[in-house]
Amino acid sequence: METGEIKFDRLAGHMVRTATQSGIELKTAYGPDDISHLSYEEDIGDPGDPPFLRGIYPEMYRDRLWLKSFIVSYATAQETNQAFREYIANGMTDLRLLCDLPTQAGIDPDHPSAWNSMMCGGVATYALPVYEEMLDGLPLGEAVFELAHAGMSSFIYFYGLLVAMMENRGMDIERLRGNSINDPIRTKLVYGCPDFPTQTDRRICLDHIEFSVRNTPNWRPVAPNGVDPCQGGMDAIKELGGCLAVATAVMDDLGKRGIGIDEYGPMVFSLDAESDFFETIAKFRLARKMWAGIARERFGAKTNRAMQLKIGIRTSGLSLTHQKPLNNAARVTLQILSCVLGGVNSLDASSIDEAVGLPSPEARLFNLDAQHIITHEANVPLVADPLGGSYYLEWLTSKMESDINAYLDEIDSLGGIFECLESGWLNQVMESCRAKVQRERTEGDRLIVGVNAFRSEDDEEGPINEAIRDVAYKTPSVAMREERVREVKRFKAGRDMQRLKTLTKDLLRITREGGNVQRAVIEAAKAGLTLGECVGVIRLGYGIEYDPFEQIGMPDFIRELVEE
Amino acid sequence: MKGIMKETRKSRVLIAKVGCDIHERGALTMLTALSNAGIEVIYTGRYQTPEAVASAAVSEDVDVIALSDHTGSLPIIAEQVITELKKLDVTDIPMIAGGLLAPDDIKALEKMGVKGNCGPGTPIEVIIDLIDELVKH
Repeated sequence: METGEIKFDRLAGHMVRTATQSGIELKTAYGPDDISHLSYEEDIGDPGDPPFLRGIYPEMYRDRLWLKSFIVSYATAQETNQAFREYIANGMTDLRLLCDLPTQAGIDPDHPSAWNSMMCGGVATYALPVYEEMLDGLPLGEAVFELAHAGMSSFIYFYGLLVAMMENRGMDIERLRGNSINDPIRTKLVYGCPDFPTQTDRRICLDHIEFSVRNTPNWRPVAPNGVDPCQGGMDAIKELGGCLAVATAVMDDLGKRGIGIDEYGPMVFSLDAESDFFETIAKFRLARKMWAGIARERFGAKTNRAMQLKIGIRTSGLSLTHQKPLNNAARVTLQILSCVLGGVNSLDASSIDEAVGLPSPEARLFNLDAQHIITHEANVPLVADPLGGSYYLEWLTSKMESDINAYLDEIDSLGGIFECLESGWLNQVMESCRAKVQRERTEGDRLIVGVNAFRSEDDEEGPINEAIRDVAYKTPSVAMREERVREVKRFKAGRDMQRLKTLTKDLLRITREGGNVQRAVIEAAKAGLTLGECVGVIRLGYGIEYDPFEQIGMPDFIRELVEE
Repeated sequence: MKGIMKETRKSRVLIAKVGCDIHERGALTMLTALSNAGIEVIYTGRYQTPEAVASAAVSEDVDVIALSDHTGSLPIIAEQVITELKKLDVTDIPMIAGGLLAPDDIKALEKMGVKGNCGPGTPIEVIIDLIDELVKH
């Protein structure tokens, strides 16, 4: 029992900041004078009208709710398939596909560098039969997919597998729906993916887009990604600025292949829902406005469709804490709310146990239910852009627009986004943002509840927090990994080598000739070419060493092709 | 003797990532924090092999190897690196591990002699103290 004088602080828990998460200094209140420079028609507009600040559809969520999405990616194809079935039954409407880390790096499970991260973060989807097992029973042509991988090889290959599956079943591939991230900057800036060098990434990216525009019109083949740079340290200004710069560079490149913006259609950005509530909402609204401006002014978009930006979200995994994981429920809920208030089109919420391990099914269902509660109990989506016209929000949106324009000018003056990547400038920007956040946290200018503030004296967790920790998904055992290596070896040995060789030869020839490799990848994958081999053949075609890790030699059938 | 060593030579730490784990933020945060604390830090970068980590530890003459991983595979990685170090006849470089660590992983790592196991959110001062302690012994 405690006795003695109780220490009482009337101001306990007072705020320590006067700026947003990105460092935009704020006044204590905003009024009409702060937004007197804005015109409703030109700067804001009705929902469904350019510049789409208030949303891309006139009726917004009354017409269609955002897609409820998350990455479903467990160690085995069977587990992942079962999870898809359960989540779809609970209201999931957008399927984000991923694979394990070695596959995203461009290698097969039998590669020596695959061993210690094999089946971590997803299935080792090294070839078509694994994809068929993982997606068994899912209606291709109805379901919406997103390819969320890291390496650029993943997009061309796994889009290829989706097309191959449809064609093998005699389906019209025009019905394929969804999008690929396919962002050639993020793959190097954030992940340093070893599969291809940047110049190859840039071409592969365009091959995938060009093929998709001509063959699968309901597929959005690029979605510049701000989520991962943001998780790497970028603030909201640099996150959105980066996406706009990538989209601009890709559309420029695509123009050189004869595809204009009206043919291309709506753009998709993959953005981060961060902890700063109003800054996040402002960012989503502003993203639509700024892209509409670029589409019209720089690319001469004539149709509303070509000026529209769809926003796919991942809520910030980095904001979630290992300490007191129950608190993550509050963080995730607020981030979901910011997405709905910002008018996003697809939402992938992080799980409350994500800082503890891979998300458990129960935590996933909480994500879906939180969205159902926001919709059906809180009635938030009844009215489009309910915060439109708020003095503070409109001022913040406009302030961020000037900051982002300044950032875009800086990128332009340095030679464009690819030059900024190759010179290391983007990395420095990300590093200095990261260091600033770290400094603020250390110095107490940025409080994280349960981490550097509001920690319980004894650090003892109660049963709810312990339970969250206990159910988090565990990584695969050594025995499971060994079985996967045996499986891939069996698969490779059982292929029709003559057919495989012919189609692989086409892929090598087309790569060497500088043609579009997407169709050749699809056909070779149908014949059993694995992801790792596909990466190797494209690398050879571009005149670089077969193995990105320089650890293994090429398989015999590829060596024979090269020597022919 | 040890006191003199400490004045003339900064502690050297190798931060290492093995395999295809893409999560780098922890390693980069430690790189900055340890450098700021006056420790000499060498970072291997991502996508390394266990052999390369062991050989870097030897050639850089480090006092501590700090493994970083967020896939839940730290026991597997530690075992591989220890095996490679043994091939080079090295058994005296202490190893610590940071990142995603389940309670069972910590038990497995401690069994291998990996003593400092730092889960997400471990205060940086705790890690620095841990390194100081290991270097002293």
